[in-house]
Amino acid sequence: MSRMCKKVAPAITESYQEVFRTKSGCIYQSDVEKSLLVEFANKIARFDIRCLQRLKNAVFSINLAEMATDTSRTTDVEIISLCACEHCYVLTLREIINFRELLAGAFVMFELNSIIQERIYSIPVYA
Amino acid sequence: MKDLMRLRSLLGTEVEALLNNQIKMEAYNSSVYLAMASWCDRNGFDYSADHFYKQAEDEREHMLRFFKYVSDMGGTAVSPSVDGIPQEFESFREVFESALELEVKTTQAINNIADKCYKEKDHVTVEFLNWFHKEQREEEYVARRCLELFEVIGEEGTGRWEIDKAIPSVSYGNE
Repeated sequence: MSRMCKKVAPAITESYQEVFRTKSGCIYQSDVEKSLLVEFANKIARFDIRCLQRLKNAVFSINLAEMATDTSRTTDVEIISLCACEHCYVLTLREIINFRELLAGAFVMFELNSIIQERIYSIPVYA
Repeated sequence: MKDLMRLRSLLGTEVEALLNNQIKMEAYNSSVYLAMASWCDRNGFDYSADHFYKQAEDEREHMLRFFKYVSDMGGTAVSPSVDGIPQEFESFREVFESALELEVKTTQAINNIADKCYKEKDHVTVEFLNWFHKEQREEEYVARRCLELFEVIGEEGTGRWEIDKAIPSVSYGNE
C-alpha cells in the first residue's frame, strides 16, 4: 500500500534573519538551524549554504540570450533541479532574472558578513 | 549573524574555483604525458617512454594532492573530465618542447593561485602551495635539460638514440 507523504513548507521562525530582499523574494539565515530559507516563486525552501551555492551556479549558468531568442515552446521555461537537493524550480525568463538578482544580492551580503566577522576577530585586544 | 560560508569551508569561492581548475590542469597534463609515452614507445624511444610514464604518474599524484586539499578544507573537489589530448607529434624533439611548455603553463597557473591567495590573505593555502612551487622548480629544470640534450648531442646520425639513452640520467639534485 502506498503512503501519501505531504511535505510541510518550512516556517520562517524567529531564529531566521533576513539576509537580502528584493521585490520578488527574500533569503533568510538561521544561526540556530545553520540553514537558509529561500522565499521565491510562491514557495519557501530550506537549503544549506553549499546547496544554495550550487543553486546559484545553476541559475547563473542558464543562457538567457538563447532562451529569449529561441521561439520553440520548450525554452519558455527552465527547470532547475539539483542533485541531492529536494527542491526544484520551474522558472520563466523574467523569474530567472529576478532569481539571479536575489541570489547575487544574498551572496554579496554573505561576503560582506565574512569581511565584518574577519575584522571583528582580527582586531587585537589589549588588556 | 554567523558566517556560514566560512564555517563550512576554509576556501573562498574564487580560490576554490582556481584549485578546481588546477585539478583539471594536472589531470590534463597526466594524460598528455601518457600520450607522449605512447608516441615514444611506438617510435622506438624506450627510455623516453619510461620517463613520460613516470611524469604521467607524478602529474596524477599532483592532481590528487589538490583534490584532497580542496575536499579536506570543506570545499567541493570536482572530478575532472579531460579531452583534447594530442596523440601525435611531429618529431621526437617536439615531444620534449611540448613537455616544457606544459610545465611552464603549470608553474604560471600555480603562481596565479598563490597571487589570489595572498590577495585574499589565505596563508593556509599559500603554505599548501609551497610544496608545488618547489616541485615546479624541479619539473621545469628536468624538462629544460631534456630539451637541451637535442642541442648538446645533436640529432644527426645516432643522435636521437643517444639522446633517448641520456634522458633517464637527467635529474635535479641541487636541493
